[in-house]
Amino acid sequence: MKSAAQLKFGEKVVIRNIDSSHPSSRRILEIGFTPGQEIEMVNSSVFNDPLAFSIRGTVIALRKHEADCIIVE
Amino acid sequence: MNHYTTAPIPLITLVGPPNSGKTTLFNYLSGKNYKTVNYPGATVEYSMGKFQSKFSFKANLLDSPGIVSLIPNSLDEEVSINSLYSHPKLGPPDLVIITVDASQLSRHLLLANQLIESNFRIIIALTMVDILQRKNLDIDTAKLGKLLACEVVKIDGRSGKGVENLVAKVENLILSKNSTSELTKAIIGNDSNDLIETYKKIELIESEVLIRLNDTSLLSNVSKANKQLRILIDPKSKIECYKIDARTTKIDRILLHRIWGLAVFFGVMTLTFTSIFWLAEPLISLVDGFFGLLSSESLKLLGYGWFGDLVANGIISGTGSILIFVPQIVILFMILGLLEDTGYLARGAMLIDKPLSKIGLNGKSFVPMLSGFACAIPAILATRTIPNRRERLLTIFIIPLMSCSARLPVYALLLAFILPADKSWLGGFMLASIYIFSIVCSIIIAGIINKMRNKLIKEVDSSTFILELPAYRTPKLKVALNNTFKSTTTYFKKAGPVILILSLLLWMLTSFPNINPNIEKTGLTEIEAMSLIKAERLSTSYAADLGKIIQPVMAPIGMDWRVGVSLIAAFAAREVFVSSLALIFKVTSDESTLQNSIVSAMRNARVGKTQQKLFTTSTIIGLIIYFIFAMQCLSTIAVSRKESGGWRIPILQIVIFTAAAYLLTFVSVNGLRALGLD
Repeated sequence: MKSAAQLKFGEKVVIRNIDSSHPSSRRILEIGFTPGQEIEMVNSSVFNDPLAFSIRGTVIALRKHEADCIIVE
Repeated sequence: MNHYTTAPIPLITLVGPPNSGKTTLFNYLSGKNYKTVNYPGATVEYSMGKFQSKFSFKANLLDSPGIVSLIPNSLDEEVSINSLYSHPKLGPPDLVIITVDASQLSRHLLLANQLIESNFRIIIALTMVDILQRKNLDIDTAKLGKLLACEVVKIDGRSGKGVENLVAKVENLILSKNSTSELTKAIIGNDSNDLIETYKKIELIESEVLIRLNDTSLLSNVSKANKQLRILIDPKSKIECYKIDARTTKIDRILLHRIWGLAVFFGVMTLTFTSIFWLAEPLISLVDGFFGLLSSESLKLLGYGWFGDLVANGIISGTGSILIFVPQIVILFMILGLLEDTGYLARGAMLIDKPLSKIGLNGKSFVPMLSGFACAIPAILATRTIPNRRERLLTIFIIPLMSCSARLPVYALLLAFILPADKSWLGGFMLASIYIFSIVCSIIIAGIINKMRNKLIKEVDSSTFILELPAYRTPKLKVALNNTFKSTTTYFKKAGPVILILSLLLWMLTSFPNINPNIEKTGLTEIEAMSLIKAERLSTSYAADLGKIIQPVMAPIGMDWRVGVSLIAAFAAREVFVSSLALIFKVTSDESTLQNSIVSAMRNARVGKTQQKLFTTSTIIGLIIYFIFAMQCLSTIAVSRKESGGWRIPILQIVIFTAAAYLLTFVSVNGLRALGLD
């Protein structure tokens, strides 16, 4: 099982599931990270955390801890 | 009240996700008819306005902070959502206008969908259609309206295109109001499967309303192409719609780079703070010189009696001590506004999220902390955007340590005292050092408090950082100027009267009860007699009585009761320290500026009746240290109590910061003396 937090720079994947037991899962879904959507890791911050993902035409920064609930494989 | 029965003015609420062009539309609809408390970094408090008179339709208009969904995730959102269902004063809205960014259609339709399901009467204002058109796409508004069962209007809030049409639709809807259905609180989509289903439904709608523009070669001729568009349900259009701005990604690769990103970040911060000093400097001396002149001239005009003294030293100097901040505050708000508008502040927050999280803060603490360098009050209000309660409280806690602009006149005066007049460039350097020192100290204090958080803050909450990084764009100077004007006037309306009243109170304390002391005038010139009267008036005043009580506290840190009284007065606002010294040392405005007069009066001040100088390099450094730490601001305490929801945080702030200030001042004054510095 691979989460979005493990993506490499420029890696494009399709979201398979959102871990609903994660405390941020609702907000992650609300901002558009839903199963079936394609995401790309477009940038990472200075300390490799937070990461920036492209989703539905915008870029959203998430901490690795949050990106962990986005299951991609 | 007139006796004609008129329908009550309808209430229209403006709702929208962050970055959907909501505030731009609000400004266009309300023109100059609004009251607002608007702080840099966020639309924290909602604005209240009316439709501009150029629209023939009358309605009250309520703006609210951006929300992603009807289920709140932070305090900011909770305020917004509650006032949406029922405004505390105005009740539920007659109509809701929701701004939806056309280039973010699926994400923004989630909120629209929730509003419809909660039985709100809504109208969708579709913004940023031009961005979509640049991708050769468009939206079939008629079809979107039909699918959602609500009106959809394309608008451009910056140019005002389409707004007339929007107002006409709003009027129609309000007038045709027939049945009022009960609003239902959103529980929809609370479950993650529901959310996924909703998004599936929205995606279906999206693929039906997205249109590819026919002529792909004519980018510049969008309007022409618009007329001959052909509806094509084309899966490719969705993929193109989801393409992100390539230029933004390229810029981000530099600005978020581990070396260049940090270099730019520190460069931007340095530039911000140096421009506060350098750009504001000439303007400040102008204001300072003007009030110095006004004060001395009015004294000549009104005579040297108590009335002249009240006007010159009470009212004029008091007003001057407020207006002296205008340049710095304007410049800081201006820079913050411009940075916000380009999209850089979001990157700044992302850059320092990791280091800030180490000391229990959040990347979202960054903008409030930065605003703290202008004034702690708007900064504390801006912490509402931090969703995590513990991080929010900790941010509120350390904001008073940010070197706010009210400390600047104090530092300026104290530095002018210890620095030789021919080396004024050193002042900027010393000031920068004070800033860096205070930043380092606040980091250390935040770290310590974070370690003891279980005892001090008592909040457990999972920490999150989710932030949209908007595409970079050229800032609009007009927008920034407008926001700066709003922030500055709000600040002065709040702080101004307090400072003025306290300066007057202080004047009274230093002048009464012995307002006209009897002295032997024979053989003295008028000037000599005047200064004798002043000295007599002060030494028998209430302030002197008060000062003598606190003398034992002040002596260990090398100060006397006069400094003590000024420090007490500075609780009103730190800058009052300057005007208070001027009053207590009965500065006569014989020098070119007020500051020079105070400095020379301070040089002549002696301890008691001895020949020992009161102000020396070590006591001045001690005072600077005191001001770095001390919680010297009543308004900040009040706002801190309100925003943290209790007395716990403000009391901790007063106790910890004031104790730290006193102890460190004690250590530095006596340490410096032990080292041989006078």
